[in-house]
Amino acid sequence: MSNAKERKHAKKMRNQPTNVTLSSGFVAGGGVKHHNGGGRPFQAHRDPHSGTSRQWYPRTSPHALAESDANEQSSSKVTFKRKGGWKAGPEGASQDIPKYITASTFAQARAAEISAMLKAVTQKSSNSLVFQTLPRHMRRRAMSHNVKRLPRRLQEIARKEAQKAVHQKKEHSKTKCHKARRCHINRTLVFNQRQKKNIWLETHIWHAKRFHMVRRWGYCLGERPTAKSHRACYRAMTSRCLLQLTFAAVHCLSGKRQGSLVLYRANKYPQEMLGPVTFIWKSQRTPADTSENRQLWIWLHPTLKQDILEEIKAMCQCVEPTRSAVCVPDSLLTPSQEKGQTDLPEEKTGRKRKREDDGENAKAIKKVVGDGTRDPLQPYSWLSPATGVVISDLTMEMNRFRLVGPLSHSVLTEALKAASVHTEEEDTEKTPHRWWTEVCKNPESVSLHHRQEGVFGLLGGITSPAEIPAGTVLGLTVGDPRINLPQKRSRALPSPETSQDNEKVRQLLLEGVPVECSHSFLWDPDICKSVTENKISDQDLNRKRSELLVPGSQLLLGPHESKVPILLIQQPGKVTGDNQRGWGSGWDVLLPKGWGMAFWIPFIYRGARVGGLKETVMHSQYKGSPNIPGDFPDCPAGVRFAQEQAKNLLEKYTRRPPAKRPNYIKLGTLAPFCCPWEQLTRDWEARVQAGEDLSAAPSPAGEESGPRRDVVPSAPTTERARQLSDDVSTSLNDADVMDTDCPAQAGTEWVAGRGATRGLLCVLRSRKLLRQLSAWCGGGQAARRAPGRAQQGLTREACLSVSDRFPRALVWVRLSLLGKGSPEPHTMICVPAEEDLVQLRRDRLYRGPQEPRHGDPFKSKIRKQREQKKREKGQKPGPAASDGLADGDPTGPQALTLGLWPGPLPAVTSHCSRVLLGFVTQGDFSMAVGSGEALGFASLTGLLAVLSSQPGAERGLVLLRPPASLQYRFARIAVEV
Amino acid sequence: MVRFKHRYLLCEVVSEDPRCRLSLEDRVLGGLVRDTISRVHGTFGAAASSIGFAVRYLNAYTGIVLLRCRKEFYRLVWSALPFITYLENKGHRYPCFLNTLHVGGTIRTCQKFLIQYNRRQLLILLQNCNDEGEREAIQKSVTRSCLLEEESAGEEFSDSGGEEAAETMD
Repeated sequence: MSNAKERKHAKKMRNQPTNVTLSSGFVAGGGVKHHNGGGRPFQAHRDPHSGTSRQWYPRTSPHALAESDANEQSSSKVTFKRKGGWKAGPEGASQDIPKYITASTFAQARAAEISAMLKAVTQKSSNSLVFQTLPRHMRRRAMSHNVKRLPRRLQEIARKEAQKAVHQKKEHSKTKCHKARRCHINRTLVFNQRQKKNIWLETHIWHAKRFHMVRRWGYCLGERPTAKSHRACYRAMTSRCLLQLTFAAVHCLSGKRQGSLVLYRANKYPQEMLGPVTFIWKSQRTPADTSENRQLWIWLHPTLKQDILEEIKAMCQCVEPTRSAVCVPDSLLTPSQEKGQTDLPEEKTGRKRKREDDGENAKAIKKVVGDGTRDPLQPYSWLSPATGVVISDLTMEMNRFRLVGPLSHSVLTEALKAASVHTEEEDTEKTPHRWWTEVCKNPESVSLHHRQEGVFGLLGGITSPAEIPAGTVLGLTVGDPRINLPQKRSRALPSPETSQDNEKVRQLLLEGVPVECSHSFLWDPDICKSVTENKISDQDLNRKRSELLVPGSQLLLGPHESKVPILLIQQPGKVTGDNQRGWGSGWDVLLPKGWGMAFWIPFIYRGARVGGLKETVMHSQYKGSPNIPGDFPDCPAGVRFAQEQAKNLLEKYTRRPPAKRPNYIKLGTLAPFCCPWEQLTRDWEARVQAGEDLSAAPSPAGEESGPRRDVVPSAPTTERARQLSDDVSTSLNDADVMDTDCPAQAGTEWVAGRGATRGLLCVLRSRKLLRQLSAWCGGGQAARRAPGRAQQGLTREACLSVSDRFPRALVWVRLSLLGKGSPEPHTMICVPAEEDLVQLRRDRLYRGPQEPRHGDPFKSKIRKQREQKKREKGQKPGPAASDGLADGDPTGPQALTLGLWPGPLPAVTSHCSRVLLGFVTQGDFSMAVGSGEALGFASLTGLLAVLSSQPGAERGLVLLRPPASLQYRFARIAVEV
Repeated sequence: MVRFKHRYLLCEVVSEDPRCRLSLEDRVLGGLVRDTISRVHGTFGAAASSIGFAVRYLNAYTGIVLLRCRKEFYRLVWSALPFITYLENKGHRYPCFLNTLHVGGTIRTCQKFLIQYNRRQLLILLQNCNDEGEREAIQKSVTRSCLLEEESAGEEFSDSGGEEAAETMD
């Protein structure tokens, strides 16, 4: 009997009584044996397998027969001649027909059957639990863990089952009981252990209980709340307050504002973008005080950290006078000074921030807060002897909370109370907060503190954070926010009537926060350290609260109350586009490390809703800003992110059976999981050149092959910073600030001439060009909006000049659908054909064309491969198999997946019936607009070609097609500046 | 629960010739029943009852047979059983007939019935027995089956346990 057959047989016999004789062979064998000895040789070769099915019964029968032999009787109606039985020897059974049967044999057989049946009946059938054999009305909840709840007859079996289940369960540490494991010190140890692989943010435990956590970029981050909250978070952003930990980039000059930049690798401006960052300058207390050490904090996404850190280090080594003027050295530069870096930066969305210049850290506490993964021997601070610049990596040294939404003022003003100033008569010697008493002795600082307090008080009267100049920074010293924690979670509401001083408010809105008010003690590492160390623990605080004479009354700690220096940074909302400007604006709160949870809970108790990574993406999508790092295809982090995403999507795709997943080849989608930017831009370049050649226009593009990289590297940054610092006083208007941001780059670009190097991808970020593009896209609209600016007409020459300079550039575009449809990531942006526009003109509700179904040339190949494999399997491994492999493999490597285009992609632009222009990177149904909206990149060359070919009214119409659909939908393209 | 409902026919092969019982084989028996159905009920009957038809249990010593068929057509099978008059195996023909003991919805009920039935048979045998030695042997087997019942209610009956029981019998 072959193996498979045997297995099948065993399966059949599984729930059968042991002596069930299904196998015909066994019956025959048993029968013969029973009947006469002549069957012996026959039986001999059957034995091996019959042994599995017959257990004790066949063994007993010979004995029984022997016994019955002694008292041979004919009491049964059936005659059975004993002598002809198995003892009779070799003669055949046919001659010796038994004449009698003894009653005992008969009884034996019956008894055996009874026992077999009994066994079968009492055995529980199938692989269900015992508990499931009970009818439903007899089941009790506690049965699952308490065996005694079961009926007694089932208890024994259930006990066995329970033991089995215990073994399957994860082993807990045997050494400690549950209570010991839950005790605080042990938990802290375990948590420290678990933080070694991934960095935990300060609010990790809080998040882990309420969020789906993911490991990303070396951190444990909350991806999305476990509750359904998509819409609720949107509402919170629009009308209330959403609390997230994100980081944003803003750059701030002389401490008054925050600023943002895109960093490029030195000397390679249009290419090799490093990534977007935000930064803050430490404010100068007095304008004249130039000799003071300056500090610049740069905040960046953890994925960008390595690249940028390396680059900055390299930059500072080579002497750059402009730079050294900006960054001033100071502080301790001992890189060996590391202990457990603690702190939890709580950027919710998990970004890490790095501070440049001057750092010092950290203290090791029993509780590891902060970056547990860092190698303690690695230096985190670098000094450049040439320039005197010190760079320190301040990862996890601070917390940054982001409040988004119009109510963020109310939340802030209610949750935070400015610290009280010490008066002389109080005995200050004993308090641990020496620094504050020192500060209070200085009348200048006290008056500054009062001014900051005044400004902060005014904020409560402002309806939306968007009204405040973008990137405003306000320093503050506040008391312990845990002290006036409300009893119940409530929602903070704005109270306009309390802001008595309308005049002052108006002045604040107009002029922004005074420069000096942006000073904060947060810049001083020593103070931060002392604040973190002297934090009163929750336990102590609660104990003191319980010792109050009147329960529930306000706790007064007096001079023992901690004073926490913080920085508030205004976060601009939507700064591009026409409608909903200022949407999604809010405040970022910077805290010293260790204080994350102390501020987190009070914010939540004031009605802030917490979002995760997903909400951050949604926020940036509605804001129309590119998401980091997914929307920066030209920086290394963006490339890595895209690869990872493609891998995940592919894995998800291949998990489904081929019949249950879209066949992307038939749908004409070449790259459903990633966006082949390189190929797209290359194709467009070739297309345009071909077109030019056809039209016999001499193409200047052909001559420009030499890579001219004479652009000054990070010149934009430094120059710009310079400029800004010079004219701080003049930069009142935030629009101007934002504008100058890029023109500086644009300027250098223009000066540098056509620095475009062939073959490298870049994203167009020059503000001037973008503005021009935007005007071209929008037709008359944009021109009307900015009538004063000299607009270049959309002429062939203008297009050519742009596309020559950036032959392989991408443009960040926003697409809004005209009718139905909700785009998703990797949706294709296509160029409408002439007849589509004609149809649309005729019928305003025209849905859009359909892509004809494509053929799948790989299907037969896959089938052939599969057959071959099957054949090889049958043949068993041998020389034949290896031959077959050798035949089959050259064309299709083992990774031929049904429905995915294998190998290198053909021409991406012309693969489908409509020419491909770009891809969507973020897209969804927009609750703000009420229709589908998408953000993505389009090829600059392609976009220009399309725009110039379309007539005025229809300019900017494109088609969108999701990867898993054949339907194109009309959308309007817009470039937002 | 969604499942195919079956009927199990618990039958006993009754034959004068003991060799008949001993030459029982599931394939032979299955073919025999199938042939009989097609003879009695025609092509329709054969086709209707062939779905899900199987011989689930067969004991050559006692001649007990358990047939399975779909619930919808079990009457066709049942009514065809009396028309079986002989069993043919390896060229030998043994006259016999099938006596249906029980019709059940699950194997389990049939097994339970079989226990009852066998026990009843043993008791009858015991009462009618007039020989001392015989009587003793039968009594032994009766008590053993009862003992087994108790045992098996407790813990699962292992191989060695069975062996011991067999030895005690000797």
